[in-house]
Amino acid sequence: MEQYSLLGRIGEGAHGIVFKAKHIETGEAVALKKVALRKLEEGIPNQALREIKALREIEDNPYVVKLREVFPHGTGFVLVFEYMLSDLSEVIRNSEQPLTEAQVKGYMMMLLKGVKFCHENSIMHRDLKPANLLISSSGLLKIADFGLARVFSNDRGRLYSHQVATRWYRAPELLYGARKYDEGVDLWAVGCIFGELLNGSPLFPGENDIEQLCCVLRTLGTPNVKTWPIIIRFLSRNTVLSPPERIVPDTSPEALQLLMRFLVYPSSLRIRAAEALLHPYFFREPLPAHHSELPIPQRGGRRSRQLQREFHTEEPVCDSLVDPGLLSDFLHGL
Amino acid sequence: MYHNSTQRRHWTFRSEDELQRLRLQANTRCRARIRAAGQAPLQDAFSLDPHEELTICKYYEKKLQDFCNAFKPAMPKSVLGTACMYFKRFYLNNSVMEHHPRIIMLTCAFLACKVDEFNVSSVQFVGNLPENSTTQENILEQILEYELLLIQQLNFHLIVHNPYRPFEGYLIDVKTRYPLLENPEILRKNADDFLQRVALSDACLLFTPSIIALTAVLSSASRAGINMESYLLECLSLKDNRETMTHLLDGMRRLKILVSKYEFARPEEVAMIEKKLEKCHSCDVSFAGNV
Repeated sequence: MEQYSLLGRIGEGAHGIVFKAKHIETGEAVALKKVALRKLEEGIPNQALREIKALREIEDNPYVVKLREVFPHGTGFVLVFEYMLSDLSEVIRNSEQPLTEAQVKGYMMMLLKGVKFCHENSIMHRDLKPANLLISSSGLLKIADFGLARVFSNDRGRLYSHQVATRWYRAPELLYGARKYDEGVDLWAVGCIFGELLNGSPLFPGENDIEQLCCVLRTLGTPNVKTWPIIIRFLSRNTVLSPPERIVPDTSPEALQLLMRFLVYPSSLRIRAAEALLHPYFFREPLPAHHSELPIPQRGGRRSRQLQREFHTEEPVCDSLVDPGLLSDFLHGL
Repeated sequence: MYHNSTQRRHWTFRSEDELQRLRLQANTRCRARIRAAGQAPLQDAFSLDPHEELTICKYYEKKLQDFCNAFKPAMPKSVLGTACMYFKRFYLNNSVMEHHPRIIMLTCAFLACKVDEFNVSSVQFVGNLPENSTTQENILEQILEYELLLIQQLNFHLIVHNPYRPFEGYLIDVKTRYPLLENPEILRKNADDFLQRVALSDACLLFTPSIIALTAVLSSASRAGINMESYLLECLSLKDNRETMTHLLDGMRRLKILVSKYEFARPEEVAMIEKKLEKCHSCDVSFAGNV
């Protein structure tokens, strides 16, 4: 701990407070995630163990946040990550105009490369969402928060919890309560994030689990024997379909085509990250933007506040006028 | 994947000598610390030599295995394997004189349950101990105290690759591609015994999980009077790769020797060393204070 000087609080994670700090020797900025253990009957929380487990096992990858070190501290321990300026949800929220197609492609490339790397290392993230995709000061996107990650083993009969993933990005099999699933749940989430990048707003913003399912069903239709052979009888059969072009308007045909390769019911038919990277979408003009051409919002949306033009329609006009008396001093010398 | 795992990079050693050297170092370090803490003549009398340490570790490894095998609800083998591996890794760099194996052993099992996602509550976990519930609570408290030390000593490398999954893989492969063997399931019993012995030996610190699994299959077959060399040659395509084949056979031979020469700790010897160890721990008040 003596190696770091704390610079301030960044936020609160699932299992502790996150601080910004500086590595004294190198001057490098880092994020310290403090995991406290006090009063925890079950000892070190599973989420922290999962995160350590997954991140210690994989080698460096530019699109996965780097766990620099772990050290015990007080009654708990500290995870040291590279410091990241912002995350994709802020980028989506704060960009004053919709992201250009090249920018969307740039983000998707980095996201897919990161997901490909995780899956190749037998890790399913299970909680991909814009807020977990951090953006570095050079515009790189890195997958973070492996608190729900599972190292998958294709074990027969191994059951997983379906209470994973943030609702809007949760794959249909999870909404149906499946306990056996695979890395396809990440690919569904990638599809949702893709749609959100194209639209500037979440694709399936369900208020609760049932509504979440309805959101999905409205777009993809009620699953039937043909679209999802394993699921046969569930829910009502006559959901009104809104065609995909309607949920992501003004989108190129390739983007739409790729999007719909992620958003399919059977997990096994979802396009894998490695294959998606070879999709024509990424090879047509406009080409994916380089990470240096991508917006880098400040943490806490400082930049957006500067750009925001506020109009107070309720305020009396006289309040926004300049009092000549205040200016007189400055005008004196003119 | 084992290939780029922390297990391969940090916890697979070249030879038994290397393990012995590490254990010797841990023992020397601890004794030096005890001596530095004063009361040298008294402390020296209770100190354990490396061989005694190894004997006591063996004893607790067996206890750990028995605890896991008797665990309710039934514990998956991978949890047992992971727990044994944690215990072995811990005492490569630590001494039983400083951290009592009785509690380390339980902490290893506790952590393995969590890491391997075998979800039992802490109360359920200590419920498997024969002691009464007040003692169980005390033990739980100690486990939780040691948990952090344990993961730290494991260098936060938590994922363990066990031979059980590759074993199932080989069995499926034999079933599908090796019709010469009519009922491969007959191999299971002896292979299980072999893998139990493997978990007690140092094999998991020296060999890859897949070679251990393959040796389990082949040695079980040979005990049933079946020679499976043709499986290696044909199915694993080693016919045209003499070098790999020789290397593999050599590895399997060394592994079999290692496993067969394994001896359980002798109870009388253990009883004697335990007495010494208890004394060592009972006067570690001054010792702990000076660390």
